[in-house]
Amino acid sequence: MSKDSQMRAVINQKLIEMGERERLKELLRAKLIECGWRDQLKAHCKEVIKEKGLENVTVEDLVAGITPKGRALVPDSVKKELLLRIRAFLAQHAT
Amino acid sequence: MKMEDMSLSGLDNTKLEALAQDIYSDLVDDACLGLCFDVHRAVKQGYFFLDDTDQESMKEFEIVDQPGVDIFGQVFNQWKNKECVCPNCNRSIAASRFAPHLEKCMGMGRNSSRIANRRIASSNNLNKSESDQEDNDDVNDNDWSYGSEKKAKKRRSEKNPNSPRRSKSLKHKNGEFNSSVSTDLYKYNYNTGISYETLGPEELRSLLTTQCGVVSEHTKKMCTRSHRCPQHTDEQRRAVRVFLLGPSASMLPDPDSVMESDGYDVSDGQVLMGRLQWDGSSDISPSDSASSKASTTNSDSKRTKKKKPSSLSLTVVGADRGEREDRGGREGGSGGVGSGSSSQSALGLPGRKKKPKLSAPLAPSIYDDLN
Repeated sequence: MSKDSQMRAVINQKLIEMGERERLKELLRAKLIECGWRDQLKAHCKEVIKEKGLENVTVEDLVAGITPKGRALVPDSVKKELLLRIRAFLAQHAT
Repeated sequence: MKMEDMSLSGLDNTKLEALAQDIYSDLVDDACLGLCFDVHRAVKQGYFFLDDTDQESMKEFEIVDQPGVDIFGQVFNQWKNKECVCPNCNRSIAASRFAPHLEKCMGMGRNSSRIANRRIASSNNLNKSESDQEDNDDVNDNDWSYGSEKKAKKRRSEKNPNSPRRSKSLKHKNGEFNSSVSTDLYKYNYNTGISYETLGPEELRSLLTTQCGVVSEHTKKMCTRSHRCPQHTDEQRRAVRVFLLGPSASMLPDPDSVMESDGYDVSDGQVLMGRLQWDGSSDISPSDSASSKASTTNSDSKRTKKKKPSSLSLTVVGADRGEREDRGGREGGSGGVGSGSSSQSALGLPGRKKKPKLSAPLAPSIYDDLN
């Protein structure tokens, strides 16, 4: 267990160090805007905000309301492409 | 570092896959969090709802995708016919001509203050022939119109003497002139958006009796000089009159006879027409009734009248006719004293025929004199 989490931390650090994480983040961002994911989530945000009230809404409310939906709404093609790049990175640095 | 590499290599595929999934979900969560921060900030700053609109306004501003209209659903060349009202002189001017007009009207630019002052003076003055004649000294004056709104409209509605349309109407000079001209005019007016009907034939006539009136090819304005202006030929002047007033006015107007002709009315013309058809020999006879008021009416104008196609009813009072014919024969010999004139110009415009009201009572006394 400890070995597992330790290894995960190492890989994350490596991702950040290499700048790969930033690149992946930027790629994901662009892809999600392109396919309308961001607009869909914004519409969902409006519902959450209306529900909570414009003045009372907090970041926590938003995150709680949005994140599950956000995960579900990511298109398969985007997910596939991202996983491909992550695997390539892992394969490149695991050997 | 080396040891970690070793440990990574020791992972099996499932573990690697789970790791990739973890990284992926981390990234997606990051994206979601970023979005949440953005939205939260927008809400707190108050600009989050700025971009959404209600359904009605969305409908109202929907993009129109149809041939012939722009995205707002408007006909895209409708501005061509737009007219602006000049704040200075209250005339309506075509939008494309508005800027140059305003420049001159407001007295800016070369020579224009002089022109504007003169225009104001002339618009107050009913008899504006003098100032108008002077105005054409300047080349710039050609695209400028003076006087009242009516005048301006009228000048616009007139056409270039050299234009194809003009020549077409000339062809009909001796034929069904009135009808062709009127349709021509209406067509033209439709194109320019100016209503010709607002211009009374009296204005046309009085203008043409005092001025050269030839319509410029470039400016579509009338020449405002006297009849003897050297710039235009008699032929051009005649063409303008034929076009605007009808074939009976084709002769260059003599001021005296024109003044007299103003008294003529509709049914008088009808009587004349009728008589012309009744007796083929009557070069002159119709003029008698017409000239009861205007003693100088001459045979020229009568001849032009005769050429007119008369679809008019032949309602002639029998008793009068005989007498007039008698006199017609007599006057025929002495006819042609006057200068061939447009005294019959009142006949020119469609729907405006002469009435015998004025002449009828006067006729007997004149006859007596002549006899």
